[in-house]
Amino acid sequence: MWAYIFRRVLATIPVMAIVALFVFSLLYLAPGDPAAVIAGDQASPDDVERIRASLGLDRPYLVRFGEWVFNILRGDLGTSIFTNLPVSHMIMQRVEPTLSLMVVTLVLSVTIAVPMGVVAAWKQGTHADRAVMAFAVLGFSVPVFVVGYVLAYVFALELDWLPVQGYTPLSQGLWPWFENLILPSIALGTVYIALIARITRATMLEVLSQDYIRTARAKGVGQRAILFLHALKNAAVPIVTVIGIGIALLIGGAVVTESVFAIPGLGRLTVDAILRRDYPVIQGVVLLFSFVYVLVNLVIDLLYTLFDPRIRY
Amino acid sequence: MSEMDNRPMLLEVDNLQTHFRTMDGVNRAVDGVSFHVRSGETLAIVGESGCGKSVTAMSILRLIPEPPGKIAGSIKFQGKDLLKLSDREMRAIRGNDISMIFQEPMTSLNPVLTNGQQIGETLRLHQGLNAQQAEARAVEMLKLVGIPEPERRVREYPHQLSGGMRQRVMIAIALACNPKLLIADEPTTALDVTIQAQILDLMKDLKTTVGAAIVLITHDLGVVAEVAERVVVMYAGRKVEEARVGDLFRTPRHPYTQGLLGSVPKLGSSLTGETTRLAEIPGLVPSLKQRIPGCVFATRCPKVTELCRAVPPALQEKAPGHIAACHYAEVEGVAAA
Repeated sequence: MWAYIFRRVLATIPVMAIVALFVFSLLYLAPGDPAAVIAGDQASPDDVERIRASLGLDRPYLVRFGEWVFNILRGDLGTSIFTNLPVSHMIMQRVEPTLSLMVVTLVLSVTIAVPMGVVAAWKQGTHADRAVMAFAVLGFSVPVFVVGYVLAYVFALELDWLPVQGYTPLSQGLWPWFENLILPSIALGTVYIALIARITRATMLEVLSQDYIRTARAKGVGQRAILFLHALKNAAVPIVTVIGIGIALLIGGAVVTESVFAIPGLGRLTVDAILRRDYPVIQGVVLLFSFVYVLVNLVIDLLYTLFDPRIRY
Repeated sequence: MSEMDNRPMLLEVDNLQTHFRTMDGVNRAVDGVSFHVRSGETLAIVGESGCGKSVTAMSILRLIPEPPGKIAGSIKFQGKDLLKLSDREMRAIRGNDISMIFQEPMTSLNPVLTNGQQIGETLRLHQGLNAQQAEARAVEMLKLVGIPEPERRVREYPHQLSGGMRQRVMIAIALACNPKLLIADEPTTALDVTIQAQILDLMKDLKTTVGAAIVLITHDLGVVAEVAERVVVMYAGRKVEEARVGDLFRTPRHPYTQGLLGSVPKLGSSLTGETTRLAEIPGLVPSLKQRIPGCVFATRCPKVTELCRAVPPALQEKAPGHIAACHYAEVEGVAAA
């Protein structure tokens, strides 16, 4: 097991290297000149050239890539072109809101979606099942920002139950923190819930037709224990997989959600950085997101062993 | 031959009808079957695939999904009609008073729960044991069904056991709460011949230690001869013959039973020079979706007459304790009567 974890961690190195190359190249090849942006509209070509040289943008591609990687390995993600602050510092400042949003969304979505899928499978073909499936299709087809604005309009502006926008750090109390995250989490989680509920339903339907479920019935096991112990544990592997894959969905959605609800997180940082062509920041954030995703995948693979004793590494 | 069996009545199935609503009509999987089992008795239900024997077994525990299934008639267990019980009352009986083992040991155990958890579950459910007590008892049960190193096996998972061992675990689960009735649906069919013999021996042993009555569902007449006291022969969802096992093998009265017995190969028959072709029953079990006007076996019976095609034969006692549904059964070998 530990040997496996070690091997998997080693295996992330080439993955991250490829991601790094991509991240670096994409921005290098992208149109737009950060030197020109920083210099402003009135700058002369000489000014732009001077700024470009000071940023090191005039040096060859491979040299810059090598330097960049070397710095990252030392923990230095570079300095923002726009604010002149270290990128790692800027990221650290923005991590809490995004992490909060993701964790709350994840917990909320899983606790809602899994029972939804289980009930739909159990009550297959009934109105409850159809309602879940209808929600799943709807949740899939309505974009995050639409859900976000509708929620904000109804629950914040009209009913005045929850704050419209913004973020309160956890250090200022659990409720103020949570209150601000409810609407964004629901907006961000809708697609995720739809995805998990669907997979849960499909997997549970298959599991419920297995012989060992009949055995459990023959033993006198109650419906709840059959669903949530005998069946759900068998259905766990595909469900956990989708929960993991869905984290990529959350990362993408967080960017939009943070914009809609004015949450000062990494998503906003990314959007702002892209608008300003602030290369080091964009690279840092994308690299961080990729790393998180690789890590999540490792955790999922390890979780498999928890649910299915036949899987051993 | 006519000694009375005065063990108390345990299970009385009367006019059991289990029908399934399907896209193209009602499938009468079991159509008016009656039989009884006394305490401690072993009853075999035999017949070809699709004759309704498994559905009969599942109907007793009400494991048929309703809908599309529908169970009618009455199933009295110790005088209580199981079909009138609530779901909760029925759950208290399943795995406790009546338990069941299935044909497929490879798939009938839950792959993600330990053997101990699966045996202990019934004990915790029906006897209120806590986790430690249940595990201790699970170890005893594994020992009882002849699994070596029970202390280790109890914490292992089904995939770490062979098919025969898994069936032993199934038996341990079924017997954990000392049931009064054990329904065994083809318990040895999926196993190797040597393992089959072991499992049958185990069931016979445990029957004496636990004292449970057994309803054994099988198509294997060798198994029937070995363990059963009485036999019910089913064909196309009906009972066509019922007799004590000796009577049935000696003087089968229904042509279907005669066909079944005739299709059993005799060991060594090819060595003695009698290279006769193995007897078979031509044709297939009729569709259970149409009402059959006459005898259900008429389409395949070698002795069929116009009477058989028009009038269904009633179940009739042809000799003491020997019932058959055939117009011509008296004519055939009633020498003993």
